[in-house]
Amino acid sequence: MAGVVDVPQQIQTDAKIVVKAITSVFHLKKTRTEPAREFIALKEINLEVKKGEFLVLVGPSGCGKSTLLDILTGLAQPTSGAVYIDGNKVTGPALDRGIVLQGYALFPWRTVRQNVEFGLEIKKVPKRERRAISDNFIHLVGLDGFADRFPHELSGGMKQRVAIARALAYDPEVLLMDEPFAAVDAQTRESLQDELLRIWEATGKTILFVTHSIEEAVFLGDRVAVLTPNPGTLREIVKIDLPRPRHNSDTRSSAEFGWIRRKIWELLQNAPHESRHHLNAVPVAEAISPTASL
Amino acid sequence: MRLPAAVNSLLLRSSGVLIFLILWETAPRLAWVDPYFVPPLSIVVREIWLLLETGDLSRHLLVSSWRAVTGLSLALVVALPLGIILGRWLTGLASALEPLLRLLSQINPFAMLPLFLLFFGIGETAKVAVVTWVTLWPILFYTIIATRTVDPLQIKSAAALGVSRSEMLCKVILPAAVPTIFIGIRIGASLTFFILIAAEMLGAGSGLGWLVHNSAMNYLIPRIYAGATFIVLLGFLLNRLLLYIEASLSIWQGSQSGSPVAGQSRASSWRPDRGSAVAGTAILVLVLILGALEVRRLNQEALAGASSSSSHAKHFGTPADSSDGGL
Repeated sequence: MAGVVDVPQQIQTDAKIVVKAITSVFHLKKTRTEPAREFIALKEINLEVKKGEFLVLVGPSGCGKSTLLDILTGLAQPTSGAVYIDGNKVTGPALDRGIVLQGYALFPWRTVRQNVEFGLEIKKVPKRERRAISDNFIHLVGLDGFADRFPHELSGGMKQRVAIARALAYDPEVLLMDEPFAAVDAQTRESLQDELLRIWEATGKTILFVTHSIEEAVFLGDRVAVLTPNPGTLREIVKIDLPRPRHNSDTRSSAEFGWIRRKIWELLQNAPHESRHHLNAVPVAEAISPTASL
Repeated sequence: MRLPAAVNSLLLRSSGVLIFLILWETAPRLAWVDPYFVPPLSIVVREIWLLLETGDLSRHLLVSSWRAVTGLSLALVVALPLGIILGRWLTGLASALEPLLRLLSQINPFAMLPLFLLFFGIGETAKVAVVTWVTLWPILFYTIIATRTVDPLQIKSAAALGVSRSEMLCKVILPAAVPTIFIGIRIGASLTFFILIAAEMLGAGSGLGWLVHNSAMNYLIPRIYAGATFIVLLGFLLNRLLLYIEASLSIWQGSQSGSPVAGQSRASSWRPDRGSAVAGTAILVLVLILGALEVRRLNQEALAGASSSSSHAKHFGTPADSSDGGL
């Protein structure tokens, strides 16, 4: 594309993920009520995630967090800027990143085990090894005895566990999670959060977790990146100093938890003034999410 | 005199069928209807038995099945790849072609029949071609819809792993599309016999359609009913076979249990597996092979017997040129 500054293919860094000056612009087609215009989904996002860190992106819908995750996955290309993993520029999807999506996205024609083994098949792992690995991860997410069930036989929480096991099984170093717990009920959600922290501590993966729930962000993250919409900008990164291991029962009731939650809430409330004008444009960003056409 | 057990169990599965059969037997006997035009069931059954004994019926049955399965297979070979390409990759072309395809699919196949006979003669090609033509459309349309409507989330989660195009097709798109594609195949299969019988009536020297038509020409009324009964049976059997293959390919859909409770054992219920899909397909392939041999033999016989009257024509006491009797 003309006018875009060249970005280096490699950079020197200690960070696991480096997001460098990402800008993503969509060209909206003319509609009956509005002329053609540009929509800035993300503007100059800079972010670094350390190895083994649990970073949460929080923001209202339409702030571009899903777009950012698509760029990290390699399914979408930024208009300018680049993402680096271990210092190497991301050019497309690859097996070094695992992905967990909101709607489970399990393959209904595959059993739990076959779902978990999907990435291993793509990675061309021999069958016997696949079985050992899938056994291991099915155990890790607490689904022993359900290996030969089909997804329709599982509850929502169990399906999401399978999705997590599937993303972990091919051993990616980074786990990208796009509002994974948004579709389950409150109780299941809390137990899945506890479970995820346990798995994270057991595997030492670098996790980038997207959510619109402030509570979830504060409870899970080492740091919380607050995004504000129109255009999607990184407002602030809040460090969460709550002691680990965290448990839903006591962590949430601590005074510090409430204080941090309040702080992030204020950051989201006091978004720059210009965003107010475009509030009705918010759903558009969702509709033109580049993966919608996939 | 009794029907074979397998046929019997199929016929008697529902009481509605049973009542119908009883009425069929009693109504002509009590002279509610003219027994000359509607012969009672027992007479038709005896006629079937006679036809079975001489081996004529099984020959016609095999020939008709072969034509149906060949036409269906050809339609699959054309429509499946075309449907996948149009549904998945050339979506622009698909929307450009759609009105044309809809128009073509609306052409009445009966109107097309004389054209097919004109182009391909009264040989096997015309009959197989018309069956292919009819079954092509539902399979094509359902394949386009099936591949177009694969859950984008499933595609996304596979794409995020950097899968190749062929892996995406074989591991995601096709498995997701199978249940919908099978609806098209079954609609196509149910149309197969309608058109095949008509084609055989218009121009053929063998097959169930010819049997019925030939019997009508010769006022062999019980034989008409015998042929018609087997046409119904054949259509029913083909549909059953396809349902069976479909069920074994889509066990994962779990439509039978309304509330899938996790942890509850479902081992007791019978689950068709890949093995039964292979078995079902094997039956269809067997029909293809045996039918091909039979058709070839019949056609050679027809050639050899062009001067004298052919053996089965003689059996029915028809003129030697009965093969194109309807034209």
